[in-house]
Amino acid sequence: MASAHSTLYTPLIEGAKTPAQVTKDICAVLDRKPTWVWWAGFLFAFAVLLIGSAAVTYQIAVGIGTWGLNNTVGWAFDITNFVFWIGIGHAGTLISAILFLLRQPWRTSVNRSAEAMTIFAVMCAGLFPVIHMGRPWLAYWMVPYPNTRGSLWINFRSPLVWDFFAILTYFTISLIFWYLGMVPDLATIRDRTKPGLRRRMLGFLSLGWDGSARTWMHYETVYKMLAGLATPLVVSVHTIVSWDFATSVIPGWHTTILPPYFVTGAIFSGMAMVLTLTIVARKTMGLEQYITVQHIDKMCKVALATGCLMGLAYLTEFFTALYSGNQYEQFAFLNRALGPLSWSYWIMVGCNVGISQLLWFRKVRANVVAVFVIAILINVGMWFERFVIIVISLHRDYLPSSWASYAPTSIEVATLVGTFGLFFTCFLLFCRFVPVIAISEVKGVLGVGRKQRGGPPATAETPSELAKAGSGDKKEVLV
Amino acid sequence: MAGDHSHRYWKSLEERNALVESPAAAEDEFPESLEFATGSIGRRQFLKAAGFTFVGAVLTGCQRAPVEKAIPYLVKPEEVIPGLAYFYASTCGGCSAGCGLLVKNRDGRPIKLEGNPEHPLSKGGLCATGQASILGLYDSRRILHPLREGKEATWEQVDRDILDKLEGIRREGRAVRFLSDSISSPTTLATLEAFLGRFPNARHVVYDPLSCSAILDAYEQTHGMRLLPHFRFEMAEVIASFDADFLATWIAPVEYTAGYQAARRLEATPPQFSYHVQFEPRMSLTGSKADQRIRVAPQELGLVVTHLAAMLASLAGAPFPAEGIEQPAVPRQALQEVAQRLWEAKGRSLVVCGSQDVSTQVLCNFINHLLSSYSNTIDLALPSRQRRGNDRELQSLLEELHGGKIAALFISGVNPVYDLPDGNQLAPLLQQVPLVVSLDGKPNETTELAHYVCPNHHSLESWGDQEPVSGVVGLSQPCMQPLGNTRALLESLAAWTGTPKSAYDILRESWQSRIFPRQTKESSFQAFWDRSVQDGFAKLEGTRATAVRPFAAGVVHPILSAGALGEGEFALVLYPKVGILDGRHAENPWLQELPDPITKVTWDNYACLSPAAAAALRVSAGDVVRLESGPATGNGQKGLELPVVVQPGQHDQVVAVALGYGSKATERFAGMGPQWIEGKSTVGETGRVGVSVAPWLRLVDGALQYWRTPVKLQPTGRHLALASTQTYGGIRVPPQLATPGAERRPVIQETALASYLDDVRAGKQWEAEEHEDLWAQDHPYTGHRWAMAIDLNACTGCSACVIACQVENNVPVVGKDEVRRRRVMHWIRIDRYYAGDGADVEVAHQPMLCQHCENAPCETVCPVLATVHNAEGLNQQIYNRCVGTRYCSNNCPYKVRRFNWFNYPHEDRLENLVLNPDVTVRSRGIMEKCSFCVQRIQEAKIEAKRKGEPLRDGAIKTACQQSCPAGAIVVGDRNDPNSLVSQLLRSSRRYHVLQEINVRPSIGYLKLVRHRLEAREEKRDG
Repeated sequence: MASAHSTLYTPLIEGAKTPAQVTKDICAVLDRKPTWVWWAGFLFAFAVLLIGSAAVTYQIAVGIGTWGLNNTVGWAFDITNFVFWIGIGHAGTLISAILFLLRQPWRTSVNRSAEAMTIFAVMCAGLFPVIHMGRPWLAYWMVPYPNTRGSLWINFRSPLVWDFFAILTYFTISLIFWYLGMVPDLATIRDRTKPGLRRRMLGFLSLGWDGSARTWMHYETVYKMLAGLATPLVVSVHTIVSWDFATSVIPGWHTTILPPYFVTGAIFSGMAMVLTLTIVARKTMGLEQYITVQHIDKMCKVALATGCLMGLAYLTEFFTALYSGNQYEQFAFLNRALGPLSWSYWIMVGCNVGISQLLWFRKVRANVVAVFVIAILINVGMWFERFVIIVISLHRDYLPSSWASYAPTSIEVATLVGTFGLFFTCFLLFCRFVPVIAISEVKGVLGVGRKQRGGPPATAETPSELAKAGSGDKKEVLV
Repeated sequence: MAGDHSHRYWKSLEERNALVESPAAAEDEFPESLEFATGSIGRRQFLKAAGFTFVGAVLTGCQRAPVEKAIPYLVKPEEVIPGLAYFYASTCGGCSAGCGLLVKNRDGRPIKLEGNPEHPLSKGGLCATGQASILGLYDSRRILHPLREGKEATWEQVDRDILDKLEGIRREGRAVRFLSDSISSPTTLATLEAFLGRFPNARHVVYDPLSCSAILDAYEQTHGMRLLPHFRFEMAEVIASFDADFLATWIAPVEYTAGYQAARRLEATPPQFSYHVQFEPRMSLTGSKADQRIRVAPQELGLVVTHLAAMLASLAGAPFPAEGIEQPAVPRQALQEVAQRLWEAKGRSLVVCGSQDVSTQVLCNFINHLLSSYSNTIDLALPSRQRRGNDRELQSLLEELHGGKIAALFISGVNPVYDLPDGNQLAPLLQQVPLVVSLDGKPNETTELAHYVCPNHHSLESWGDQEPVSGVVGLSQPCMQPLGNTRALLESLAAWTGTPKSAYDILRESWQSRIFPRQTKESSFQAFWDRSVQDGFAKLEGTRATAVRPFAAGVVHPILSAGALGEGEFALVLYPKVGILDGRHAENPWLQELPDPITKVTWDNYACLSPAAAAALRVSAGDVVRLESGPATGNGQKGLELPVVVQPGQHDQVVAVALGYGSKATERFAGMGPQWIEGKSTVGETGRVGVSVAPWLRLVDGALQYWRTPVKLQPTGRHLALASTQTYGGIRVPPQLATPGAERRPVIQETALASYLDDVRAGKQWEAEEHEDLWAQDHPYTGHRWAMAIDLNACTGCSACVIACQVENNVPVVGKDEVRRRRVMHWIRIDRYYAGDGADVEVAHQPMLCQHCENAPCETVCPVLATVHNAEGLNQQIYNRCVGTRYCSNNCPYKVRRFNWFNYPHEDRLENLVLNPDVTVRSRGIMEKCSFCVQRIQEAKIEAKRKGEPLRDGAIKTACQQSCPAGAIVVGDRNDPNSLVSQLLRSSRRYHVLQEINVRPSIGYLKLVRHRLEAREEKRDG
């Protein structure tokens, strides 16, 4: 094997795969009946989703008072979960759009699942702005459309309206991007499928893909353009989410650092979530050769970089508060670190800045179990970061008379857990029905790190070149 | 390609082929033919269609539409115009203080009580209890028909039975007793006298659950007349109060607050500012306003008064033998200063005492005598009639009951089974009395035991009068038809006297014979009556009710020692809480949810402990302690379990518990508040709200005592979550969370009297701190611009405004669990802050409500524009538009917005009648907040427009402003430089809460002014 390797590159895909093998390996999951592991996972996730649905139904039927909020702390689990899930989604766009434009070939193994994760995460996130309303049945009042309600219009000064547009845009672009990237693969599966309903559906979804050079050319242009469109979204969505807080007057919210802080945090948490998912996926679906330790290593490095940035942000906040000379601001931060809810602050710092420092070590990065644990802890830390920003800032603001505390109710906990149910239900269905790795793109990077003779040309990095090399057409698949 | 088609041109091959294959089809581009269009309608078809149409029309017309009758009044009831409010002057029946009322009637029913500004005593104020008493009118659990042995009966049956039994009792000459609380009504007293006069052995026994009988007894000794003097706080420049909570619960708090405030008017020329020193065991509302507070354990009060008397006697050169007197636990120096101040203000000073110890009261009379208070700050010639209770007579009545000597007992206005220390022993004794008649309209522990219940009207349903202070007779008039088959007390008494008459006739005749001759203004009775009904009171000039003999110095005896407490022993102090008082309105959810002005706890009573005592016991707020009394209590009860509230400023050896809780009337609250899976009940384990501490009272030596020693405390290890509306009490943030020098928040600002007076002399006015503004011309405010000034110096924290706002604006009650979750709905709250450490804390009360900011943070963040600014400076909340994101509330620096977490309906459907039709009732999921009573603003504007006059300053009074006995709140037009609010807002005392964040509130606060020893010390934030 070693002789087949270039001295400059490590192969991205291990096992000296041929394009045909790639198709076979990745489609293997779709071909076989679901295993008991899948069923167990799916049923569990679905049950959790049902619990969450019951909680939300109860909350809407009885009243939002079934959450632990109060007149001082008007947002807590709801918006924490919202920002958390939106943040999770960010890694998907980062991997699919920014890394694509930066020509990072390693993204090909994880971009499909990262994008799927984005979509499911945004679905989870999008739930909260609706259900957190006192009257969710009037959520459509947030939509600016010509209506019969007189001169009533939405308030374009409100960050919540900006939020609405930002999330809608983000979801739309992410969905299109994901779907478009999947078209060649859908065509591959279509071609492997026996005639029937399934094949006809796949035929419809693959938009009549014929694998011709012309099709590839069109496809790539659109893909590149969408990547260009999606790139600013990576920055904009979480920036706008952060404006929910930054434009307010509440100490701890009213800071200009929030947009970069939120974006970094989002990428950090998203990367951790991608790590969590891919580590499970590669193990359970036997894709170790596609999602290699090298991929994990690279994602760990991104997480490490963003984790350090988070640490910098936390320090900067304290410095700004001190430097501002504003007693409310200073109190808000001291109260985070030393106040009655400081345990959540230290969970946040410990997980995000402390634990992530382990990723400096190659040995840790190479240890999949360790990375998995760290990734989970980072996600916990990032959830608490939002909790800290929202709840700790609110619970003790200007007038000491209105200082209060907050504790979640069972309904809120069930709702949070339920979103994980929704997320994993969707993700498990995704694993069953769609190739979890972008087949066509992986074929394009088979040559990376290999000698020319071993397989397709090492320079073949784009799908069109790959197509020219003969993969993705009917003949190959039938082998 | 033949024949006809040869010269046809074709555009495509397809068309050409079509032309060849099917020429007809090519002709007709749209080949479908419409049948109807082609066929002609025949006779049969026409009949079919016509028949179908006819049957269809008939069928649709067959449905019976609901008949809605919209018939206007054939004979319009007088003064009922839908949408228009009428005000009737009346007298408050909430307690025995007898404040003047204006009853707001809409659509034929009262919906709000306001203070009568013309009333000579209450001067427009109305306390929380008075405001809330209207809810009792719409209480469906009231006794709405006479009861015989607990079963519904008719008045004829009940009267016949009672008269039969009374006849027997009269013939046998057996004892008839009428037990009531203080009745100041001349008419009722006369009618009662006539009724009791028919029996050879009949007596009217009066007791007050909040007794002042020691004061009356003391005056009997010193002045030869059993009377309650009329205290004139407005004349007093130096006030020393010994445990008299006169601003909150003592005798007539509304009148006293108005008087107290009149002597502290800083805006007057020259500025007036009385000096008030309070000696008390616990932190009372009055103590919280005092310039100096000295903590005294209850058993030491007499000793302290003796010392003060001795000091003043030596200043006055009067003999006062006090040899062998013990040293008090209070600093002598402070006492000496108080004596000096009192003496310097001789004739303009006042000493009041809430003690139930007659000798202490006699000593106070002696002090007042030395200070020449009589006929200056204390009026004995026209005494108060608000408390007439005689605990000695009560004691003898109880002895008679024990001896089985009473044949008939009538009970009105009191609930002895609950009120009295040995109340539960009364139950078997009452069983032995042949005739027990209750005249109460509310079901309680005593009505349950009565053989007959002859329910009285609610005071808003009946005619009546009250003479709270000699010479001021208040008149009550019915404001609606009685809701049930109840009967006025006057009518019941008249019926049993054998001269049945309507209450109106009795009252009118009584006024003609008793009241009319006491006045000189009107010559005809009809004119006098009409004016009195219109005014709601009659002021009788030139009458001296009583003759008093000069002060008898011989009865003054010093109290030489105080009972000492052992280690770990406490003195238990039982006190009435604002609103709840003695529990007479315990069934009123508004009052139950009204936070205690000092502890801010609702829906419960608790054991207040000083921080040092709590630390010694290792308990903190909410920990349950067991109180154990050495000698058994009245009920034989030895222990009592209550949650702890740590109360700064309380005496370290005192445990204080509120009266008025744990009564049967509170069992109704079992289903109060939203019911959901994590919801907790409003009532405690006993099924009631709080615990009754009445058994811990003592009825000894002819006086009800509100304290007892020794009491031991034992932590139980249990914890009860208290429903508090404010959990952090300090104006300082915890020291470890603040950068040095920034511990204190400039929310409450105060200044020393001397520096304020310097400012006044220098003509200093408020100066705005200019901030850059990006949108300077955003709101031009060309017309009115509403603003409010709140004088922190005047505000006592009495919370009348809270209930007034609740009634006016249909603010719901949420229940204990929701309050505990910090979801109380009050639009105006009184923030209470402590400053200083340890025992000597300073207290500041700050009414906090929507500030109607010019740069309102709430307005920008609402996604659906549900909260917007209007052209007159109001921040408006549009309920219908609100979707409930709560972003506005999060972004409110004052946290004054209130969210409907659930639907909060009235627990009693009948109470919906009290809703103000001018204010929308909010459903769940909606944000609400103070509107500056926009409905009142609109009403006044419309009225001014209708009359074609400019809007007069003072025509608009918000509900909070209207009820404030201290006049601390003023609303008006800031664009009018002459309006009162503009004048107040120019004061050098003005500041804005959180002005540093530049939200530009419309409410300006006037700084607290404190008498300080370091007089020149000016502190921006204290």
